[in-house]
Amino acid sequence: MSRPGVVLCFLVSALCLVSSRPLRAQAIPPGQADLEALKRTAVKVFIDCGSCDIEYIKNEITFVNYVRDRNEADVHVLITTQGTGSGGLEYTLTFIGQNGFADVKDVQKYFTNSTDTEDEIRRGLVRALRLGLMSFVGRTPIAGRIAINYSAPRDTGPVRDSWNFWVFSLSSSGSFTGQKFYHRSNLSGDFSANRITEQSKVQLAFSTSISRQKIRIESEDRTVSGQSESWEGNGLFVKSLGGHWSAGAYVETNSSFYKNIDFSLYVAPAVEYNVFPYAQSTRRQLRILYRAGWNPVNYRETTQFGILRDTLWTESLSVSLDLREKWGTISTAVSGVNYLNHFTKGHVDTFGTISLNVYKGLNVFVLGGWSLIKDQLSLRLREPTDDEIFLRLVELKTNSSYFFAVGVQFTFGSIFTNVINPRFGSTGGSSMSIRIN
Amino acid sequence: MPEIDGKDKAMRLPIATAVLAVLLALSLAGTGLAWAGPGLGQVPPPPGGPPPGTSLKVFLDWPGADMAYFRGEIPFAELVPSLEAAQVHVRVSPSPGDGEGALTLDFAGLKEFDGENNTLRYRPKPGETPEETRGEVARLIKIGLMRYVSKTPAAKHVSVDFMAQVKPTSVIDKWDFWVFNLGSDLFMMGETQFSDTMFSGNISANRVTPGLKIRTSVYGNFDRQRFNLESEVIKSSSRRYGFEGLAVKSLGEHWSVGAYLSAASSTYSNTTFSASVAPAVEYDVFPYSQSTKRQLRVLYRLGYTQAKYRELTVYNKLAQGLFRESLSATVELKQPWGTVQASLEGSHYFFKPFKYQVSLGGQISLRIWRGLSFEIDGSFAKIHDQISLPAAGATPEEILLMLRELETDYSYYFSVGLNFRFGSLKSNVVNPRFGSGGRNISISF
Repeated sequence: MSRPGVVLCFLVSALCLVSSRPLRAQAIPPGQADLEALKRTAVKVFIDCGSCDIEYIKNEITFVNYVRDRNEADVHVLITTQGTGSGGLEYTLTFIGQNGFADVKDVQKYFTNSTDTEDEIRRGLVRALRLGLMSFVGRTPIAGRIAINYSAPRDTGPVRDSWNFWVFSLSSSGSFTGQKFYHRSNLSGDFSANRITEQSKVQLAFSTSISRQKIRIESEDRTVSGQSESWEGNGLFVKSLGGHWSAGAYVETNSSFYKNIDFSLYVAPAVEYNVFPYAQSTRRQLRILYRAGWNPVNYRETTQFGILRDTLWTESLSVSLDLREKWGTISTAVSGVNYLNHFTKGHVDTFGTISLNVYKGLNVFVLGGWSLIKDQLSLRLREPTDDEIFLRLVELKTNSSYFFAVGVQFTFGSIFTNVINPRFGSTGGSSMSIRIN
Repeated sequence: MPEIDGKDKAMRLPIATAVLAVLLALSLAGTGLAWAGPGLGQVPPPPGGPPPGTSLKVFLDWPGADMAYFRGEIPFAELVPSLEAAQVHVRVSPSPGDGEGALTLDFAGLKEFDGENNTLRYRPKPGETPEETRGEVARLIKIGLMRYVSKTPAAKHVSVDFMAQVKPTSVIDKWDFWVFNLGSDLFMMGETQFSDTMFSGNISANRVTPGLKIRTSVYGNFDRQRFNLESEVIKSSSRRYGFEGLAVKSLGEHWSVGAYLSAASSTYSNTTFSASVAPAVEYDVFPYSQSTKRQLRVLYRLGYTQAKYRELTVYNKLAQGLFRESLSATVELKQPWGTVQASLEGSHYFFKPFKYQVSLGGQISLRIWRGLSFEIDGSFAKIHDQISLPAAGATPEEILLMLRELETDYSYYFSVGLNFRFGSLKSNVVNPRFGSGGRNISISF
């Protein structure tokens, strides 16, 4: 086939596709017209959730209309999550009535277990959504088509917890990637034991990892390879002191090739004050945390200060604010560390992200961080090789580091997003998930 | 269970196609399970209510109402005779302002539900019998009680179902389902010896209806890196921009036809400009309406690409026009026992010598037994179609920084993880003190 022939074929097929408007010409069966009228007056819902299976929700709950902007919605469902003691998640569904529903507000909770599969999690979330939406659906005529049934449970007796809230987890993973001239592998193992109650929190974790990479440069007939290993053990003990105060201690130990640390131990009592009550933590937190620490370290190679071991006395203060409101998300933190026995050394870290729904269809996010680093106490005395620099195997000398991102999205057109169409795969719609430790 | 046997077989058979065949068997075996969940609501309630002492206590304040009838209709709550014992006060009163026979239902939360209030209204249809009205009011009372019931143990045994099927396009939409999006992002990072700046922008226009899907977008991505070494400064940059379009028409529950159209320029792939068009046809073994639970899609594409290269290629070309065909099979399952996603694709150019690529990729996450879960993720590709590789090769910096496509026969990625969790499962406690270990922020557009 010649080239113009193919182009013509595409144009013709595209024209055929666009010109035949489906759905319009079909005859509407009696009774269906009624139902379509009901659907037009159904509640308009905005699901505000970054991690939910939205397509599944739309497929399972069809008695509402979904819109893509909160300002258009009758109900804004704000979904936030927090980790629970057994390693699962607590989903908090905040139903915020708007427009004609401004007087209705509700909060529903749903809990998952750490071993739940994706399908179990999304089913449970859909159940919680269905129940919560009823307060709004009850005000629209489509309520007449809702059936609520109850199947009595079998008697299962009271639940006893013989583990006394302790939860243990063992995991290991390996990943391998490569092609003809490039190979990389990473192996890791983790163990954790946690006991979380409202009065106290004990978290113990140990993890180890090793990674290797190998790159062949044919033109120079050499192979660049690097290996980096690390392990760490962390313990956290916290006692609750009322609605705003907590006291506790950190015990941490680690070893890292990248950081030139052979062995480091860190023991730090700490105290925290939260300006908002801890009970609101899924939506609002403003926490101020102070730690005073004792930190003996053994280095792998001689450091810039010509030593192989040191004992550091540190103090650190951090302030972090997290807000999740219907207009967006704000998360910022500032922390500073200072060494009592090296008084001129220290560092300051700042981090902030704001994501706002400014106006109908207009979303803006800004994300940034800046660190002033005056405490690279573990930096190697020798110069790193070029290969170590390119493969980022060792820590490099720096005074500051930063990252900054800004994004703007403007969406207009149809507000409804009821349709799911899986043909040729479901792509489109982007989301960004950031995890910061 | 049959699906577990199927999985064991899959582990033993090395051939890629066999894996896919087993995944198909797996998906068929999962059929029964897939429909177990939502159907529960259809089972008529057996006699008996929720365990005593845990059910929601409701005071139905409707003088003259037939309490025995409402007790039967609302088995998930206990109708108490006085306000003192109640957690919810439901008052049904005439509302003459709303029309003939209209009723107002006031829900007021008491005790732990203090402040949880709502008001619903019922307007009878003309000619409705009192029995019909009573039934509709019972339905509305149940709907109104859901927000309280959901906070009691009975919630697990209540089902809410929509007794009709309605098209998702039954809305009044002046934009006729067209959605337009303009977006741009800038990302910068750096420290004393290294910096990286990335910029990307895109404009898209999409229209998705059950009958037709149209996606178009124009995008551009630019990246610049800088290394300050003691001896020298190394700068590098890459850029990629283009257009992508897709139109798909639905032909029933199993078939679709459509076409891909694209134009691109990329320093990574050594192309100044390339344009391609590819009509395609797809068959889904399962009905598309089950796509959120299971899919097994087979897609065939026949395309033509005209490309102009930045540098002379290994085949001594600066421009080239080529036909290519590809066939892929993709399975996606989300079932209560886990999630499976796998795809096998083969493609070749109509070119001498014969240039082809075969790839297999997949992701499986399974709960094997109670707290024991298993995840595997991997891909393997046999690559014999790198027709645009520059003859000159790449510099060592370009290789180390992954700025150029490199010559290879294959590429692989494989990751496996095993997690065992035991101990208390009843601890739904959230304790945010001293932070909960890192923060998750997700921004979606």
